[in-house]
Amino acid sequence: MQDDTTKQELKDRLSLIENMIAEGRRNTENWGWAFVLWGVAYYLAIAWSAWGHSAWAWPVTVSIAVIITVAVAFLKAGNRRPATTLGRAIGSIWIALGISMFLLFLALGLSGRLTDRHLFAAAISAMLGMANGASALILRWKAQFACAVVWWVAAVATCFGAEAQSMIVFLAAIFLCQIMFGIYGMIAKARERKRRGPIHA
Amino acid sequence: MPDLPELNPVVHGRLRLALLSLLSGVEEAEFTWLRAKTEATDGNLGAQLLKLEGAGYVAVEKKFVLRKPQTRYRITEAGRQALADYVQALKQLLGLAIDA
Repeated sequence: MQDDTTKQELKDRLSLIENMIAEGRRNTENWGWAFVLWGVAYYLAIAWSAWGHSAWAWPVTVSIAVIITVAVAFLKAGNRRPATTLGRAIGSIWIALGISMFLLFLALGLSGRLTDRHLFAAAISAMLGMANGASALILRWKAQFACAVVWWVAAVATCFGAEAQSMIVFLAAIFLCQIMFGIYGMIAKARERKRRGPIHA
Repeated sequence: MPDLPELNPVVHGRLRLALLSLLSGVEEAEFTWLRAKTEATDGNLGAQLLKLEGAGYVAVEKKFVLRKPQTRYRITEAGRQALADYVQALKQLLGLAIDA
């Protein structure tokens, strides 16, 4: 009986070490809110550009989303996340994506060349597929890799068919890979915290 | 009968083990981050970190950022080695337990 208890205790210690090391390295699940925010921002920009026919729809929406993301991230930093090489690698991917999207869509919007919706949806999908794919491969995270695959499929599918069909594919990919994935990330994080509970000496 | 490896008592405490494991995955961490991850009380966390510091397993740096005190901890080479040795000893003990 005592042997069983000791064995279980030793296994618990090993499991605690694994969990804590993973906890220090885990970052993307903490960013579930940002996936949801950007999903909503894409929907707003699409609706604005479709019904408002404004060249400013994407530049303005993306700029506001960037400001909100930076502000919330700054406020959440009250929790002061420590620096890790992995965290920097993942962060770099998303920052580079944000800069690329901001510059490209600002330039396309202002030059009035944001007219081919097929090309537009394919470009965004491919860029998001690249970012999600790179992040998933670094983190070895199957759920995020599934998102990358959906984006890559969307990048190809949006090149074909009528404009309406292309936009439906794009909207569905946003829903699955931004909003649903973001909510999944937030739920996973909350469950993990609840399951683990406090650690006593 | 093979000799049983001894578990380092400084590393063996649950909270101290959690702290060393957390610090092994990051470059450095603040007290508030460690508290959020372990959900330990300030007093308990401070006491366990002091023990680890006393053993030379963690290094502490205190400074003021925007006039607010900030305490940062990082694992030392000795701490990293102690954690590695502890994991090795655990695995050896579990192996022996499974063999038995």
